[in-house]
Amino acid sequence: MRRTRLRSWRLGVAGLLIGLLVTTAVGAPGPRLVRLTFYYPVGVAGPLARVIDEMVAEFNRQTPDVEVVAVYSGDYDPTMQKVQTAVMAGNPPDIAIVEISEMPTLLAMNAIIPLDFYARAEGREWLRDFFPAFLQNSYSDGRFYAVPFQRSTPVLYWNKDAFKEVGLDPETPPATWEDLEDYAKRLVKRDAAGGVQRWGVTISGGWNDWLFEAFVRQNGGVLLDYGRRQLRLDSPEAVEALRFWVRLTNELKVAPPHSTWASTPPDFVAGRTAMLYHSTGILTFLKNSARFPFGVAFLPRKKQYAVEVGGGNFYVFEKIPKAHQDAAWRFIRWMVTPERAARWSMASGYIAVRRSAYEVPAMKEFVTKNPEYLVAREQLRYAYGKIMAPNFQRLREILKRALDDATGGRVRPEVALRRAQEEAEQALGAWLKR
Amino acid sequence: MAHSRASWRGQGGAQAFLYLLPSLLFLAIFTYWPMLRAIAMSLLEWNLSRPEPVFAGLRNYATLLADPVFHLVLRNTAMLAAVAIPISIALGLVLAILLNEPLGFLRGVYRAAVFYPTMIPMAAAAMLWVWLFNPSIGLVNYYLGKLGLPRVEWLYDMTWALPAVMISWIWKNVGYLTILYLAGLQAVPTELLEAASVEGAGFWQRVRYVTLPFLGPTTVFVVVVSLINSFQVFDAVHIMTQGGPADRSNVLVYFLYQQAFRFWDIGVASALTAFFVAGLLVFVVFVVGQMERGVFYEV
Repeated sequence: MRRTRLRSWRLGVAGLLIGLLVTTAVGAPGPRLVRLTFYYPVGVAGPLARVIDEMVAEFNRQTPDVEVVAVYSGDYDPTMQKVQTAVMAGNPPDIAIVEISEMPTLLAMNAIIPLDFYARAEGREWLRDFFPAFLQNSYSDGRFYAVPFQRSTPVLYWNKDAFKEVGLDPETPPATWEDLEDYAKRLVKRDAAGGVQRWGVTISGGWNDWLFEAFVRQNGGVLLDYGRRQLRLDSPEAVEALRFWVRLTNELKVAPPHSTWASTPPDFVAGRTAMLYHSTGILTFLKNSARFPFGVAFLPRKKQYAVEVGGGNFYVFEKIPKAHQDAAWRFIRWMVTPERAARWSMASGYIAVRRSAYEVPAMKEFVTKNPEYLVAREQLRYAYGKIMAPNFQRLREILKRALDDATGGRVRPEVALRRAQEEAEQALGAWLKR
Repeated sequence: MAHSRASWRGQGGAQAFLYLLPSLLFLAIFTYWPMLRAIAMSLLEWNLSRPEPVFAGLRNYATLLADPVFHLVLRNTAMLAAVAIPISIALGLVLAILLNEPLGFLRGVYRAAVFYPTMIPMAAAAMLWVWLFNPSIGLVNYYLGKLGLPRVEWLYDMTWALPAVMISWIWKNVGYLTILYLAGLQAVPTELLEAASVEGAGFWQRVRYVTLPFLGPTTVFVVVVSLINSFQVFDAVHIMTQGGPADRSNVLVYFLYQQAFRFWDIGVASALTAFFVAGLLVFVVFVVGQMERGVFYEV
């Protein structure tokens, strides 16, 4: 008796549950859940993947009708490969952060959609709030394709203790190439056997093509003009810049000829180099790791101060439903609101992409306490768009090989760059205008 | 003799074919078909600037042959095989002979220790090697310093990057070769070794005149396996050097990966694959043919 009652009670509950399920699935009108796949890289050292995950989780909580699934995809190169493979297989992500120079390649693959329509709907002021230098890698043939997010410039880090040790003013970084050479000569430290204990300066490898571009700009040259489709890897300005590198690495031996992007920040922290050329995106990592006071400075000038912007932009993909593209825009807009841009900047050292982010109270307080977070932003006055072209990966490989060959002492700078120019002309083919 | 051959050709043959069918099926789907496709695609111009493939004849092969990086890559790959294989075979053989000696309970410990690197995925091991080769805080340079030898920039040095990759490769492969040789050693008849001892042969004489001749078949297998392994180096390069500096440690499979997944030049990547498969096949057939002449399989 008791048992049957229990059973019928259970049956009743089960029936109720099933009924509920059926009505929500079929009958009840409710917001449809749009699920978006979002590939993101982390281009610098540090636990930044967690910050992205937190921001995505927050968005998902605030936005019941959209669910963003964040997929960490390694650093910039693997992310691009993952995106390309997915696009080729007909299964593109909805959103991805990809390195800014990849835009023309994505366009050549018909992988991304223009975002003018969405940006215009936000009002004129929205786009104007972004630092103009960051928007230079967003346009192709007058259309807008990419929203700046994790954006940087290279900066010079210097170890103040090392400066003091050799009698340099610890508060004055080198301002010119001549200063840099002079300081590096004094800062280099060798042991009895002639082995290097501390390099004077390290111009980080791996993305040395990016750093080299800045040196060429400082010397008044341009490697590639995207709008005019012109390439000059072997201009006199470029050759002189590379000669300067070779002077540091091979003649004076005050800088390591080769390194990797990931190896040099730990080297700086370990005191193995007194000055470091790297992205502003490692600032928080250095702050948390270095046991000595260090400074952040503009890259030293030759004819002028100059850097190239760097980092990753948001893209929205082709061949996904319109509802996904609309939802993707909502996510991107949310991620670059002043508050989020400020939070991302404080967590990483990347420059907040919008001016208004620096008006956010938390950010105001933060940069008053940590003025070094403003150096890269100030340097934006001298910043240019980064080199970009379809088949950028090949161009980058060609240029890197020329730089590594030259600093390794295997090929003279002018020969290395002339060969690189020939190879790159072939690789870019019909895209170039001659 | 004649009888057994007849039955082999008859119903036994059909039966053998049936037994082999499942693996043949998988090989066909995952090996032969992709191989044929790669050869077909190697005749197409298909890359980022030409998303719709067009017939290109042998142009991709010509592009490859004209590429100085390809020649550098071939040289690096050959160098890796020529240097690392003899060293790892010698090490594997010596270790096997030593581990075959009665060492008490330590024998199991040593055997496990020698075989251990084979069990670790190369990608994980390569991460360790990155730290071991670190110029400032790495263990390798620390010991070099202790020995009074000059420190080396290893992975960041144009001369030393490839040797660094070789060292990690040897470390990874020696254990496997040791196991193969250990198995081979079990086939050496103890009565012959004892007879040699009675005749007054010392340890190394016994190794030279009794043990080594019996290891011929094992050595053929070891050489072939090592050769194939050495041509397939990828993860170590990908993690330790990315082929750098300036392609001085770039090898065939890594170069292939760059062409296919970084530059998206499907045509050239396919040509490279075809070249790679054909080259490896010819090489292995040649090596096996050469070596088997001097080897006897049965006692």
